[in-house]
Amino acid sequence: MSEFLELLSYPFVIRALIAGSLISVCAAVIGVILVLKHYSLIGHGLSEVGFASLSIAAFLNLPYMLVSIPLMILSAFGILFVSQKYKAGGDNAIAIASSGALAAGILINSFNNTGSNIFSYLFGSVLAMSEFDFMLAIILSLSILGIFIIFYNRIFLITYNEEYARSLGINTTFYSGIISILTAFIVVIGMRITGTLLISGIIILPAICARNFNGGFLKLIIISGVIAFLTFIAGIILSLMFNTPSGAAIILVNIILLIIIKIIRP
Amino acid sequence: MNNFLSLKNITVIYSDFKALDNISFSMNAGELVFVIGANGSGKSTFIKVIAGLRNIKSGEIIRPSKISYVPQIETADRDFPANVFEIVMTGLQRRNKLFYSHDDKNKAMKIISALGLNDFIKRRLNTLSGGQFRRVLLARALCGEPELLLLDEPCAGLDTKSHRDFYDILAEINSKGTAIIIVTHDRGDFDDIKYNRIVEISNGRIFEHERIS
Ligand SMILES: Nc1ncnc2c1ncn2[C@@H]1O[C@H](COP(=O)(O)OP(=O)(O)OP(=O)(O)O)[C@@H](O)[C@H]1O
Ligand SMILES: [Mg+2]
Repeated sequence: MSEFLELLSYPFVIRALIAGSLISVCAAVIGVILVLKHYSLIGHGLSEVGFASLSIAAFLNLPYMLVSIPLMILSAFGILFVSQKYKAGGDNAIAIASSGALAAGILINSFNNTGSNIFSYLFGSVLAMSEFDFMLAIILSLSILGIFIIFYNRIFLITYNEEYARSLGINTTFYSGIISILTAFIVVIGMRITGTLLISGIIILPAICARNFNGGFLKLIIISGVIAFLTFIAGIILSLMFNTPSGAAIILVNIILLIIIKIIRP
Repeated sequence: MNNFLSLKNITVIYSDFKALDNISFSMNAGELVFVIGANGSGKSTFIKVIAGLRNIKSGEIIRPSKISYVPQIETADRDFPANVFEIVMTGLQRRNKLFYSHDDKNKAMKIISALGLNDFIKRRLNTLSGGQFRRVLLARALCGEPELLLLDEPCAGLDTKSHRDFYDILAEINSKGTAIIIVTHDRGDFDDIKYNRIVEISNGRIFEHERIS
């Protein structure tokens, strides 16, 4: 433990803790919406788009964010709208987007032999965040929370029942668009913590844990955020103590918590 | 032709199936109309057209600006993790209004008490009985202060007592001037409330059944 406290004197650890907690809380808040709308795996699908963006950016020699943010927003829109329009269930649309993006990414990579930082995108590392990543994470997380608070009542309504929302004269397409943008933002920054392989975990696991508690929707959101914060901190401490990748540790802490909750409240 | 609610030659098509076939219907402010008909005849579609939830293939509609719609229970997600107060409050949402005011909260509380739901405001939807849940949906609809209230089979599955209580509430709402359209399968409902007309929908067409002046 004293080793951990000593680590707190390093700026990169402090940065990781601040950015990581913010990202985790945002992911968990948006995660509640995605789980309830049956888009649990959208994070996974978008992270493959993130991988494709990385390949395209490396190939064209462009900054990664410039490619990934617009591509992810487009894909999130695409997934939400295609599955809504054709009532095919989100899973098909997600499978199409993710396998398509992964295939495209692999192909582009094969033309281009600079795949060096692919590994860090697959596994992520919050401790290895650059100054730029840190600033971006802070700005995007605060935007996500701000947008979520401003549109909270609407997002609640749309998540609950879109047809009813339309009967109140509300433009559900616009708010589905907002949810897509928030989802894309969270995947862009969340990939830094867990990498593309585990991103779905930090989005949906806290929400799934929180669903086991009683009470209203707001309480569910808050519990999900609190669980995300606590499991992030616990995961980071474990990964520092045992020198393991942070993303994997955070996900495992969440899964263990879920099992404990299921045992206590069957 | 009156201009409170009037549907003229409305046709609604799902893929290639005519769910409503050239129907016309009108009603005056403050009236109460029952809609009956077999399963799949087009009753819910009719109600949804009035609520503005279905695109029409052809025809014209004049409708009041404040309409509240209470969906058929099968489509009102009861497993959603929200409490009664949160759901009732949604009835106050409007385009161009993102936040609830203090007055909104008072208004919702008043309606909640009037419908005897005070003890349930913190309860999650899936812990309510069928009768309590119907009252939640009605409370939510009343928050919109509608001129026209659309109810799609509001009493299906209720026992005699809850049924009568529910109709007593509707009678009071109607007596204050709100027009109501009630879809029902139960002809016994006609004895529970004073109504103006009964119309029947059959295979997407509408028939005037009974008129009481
Ligand atoms: N979204 C849809 N797509 C395709 N067909 C539909 C759709 N909604 C309804 N239908 C069809 O339109 C017809 C009328 O449906 P509607 O729900 O209006 O009937 P209803 O009179 O309300 O029936 P019930 O008494 O069972 O509620 C039915 O044959 C139904 O299968
Ligand atoms: Mg129906």
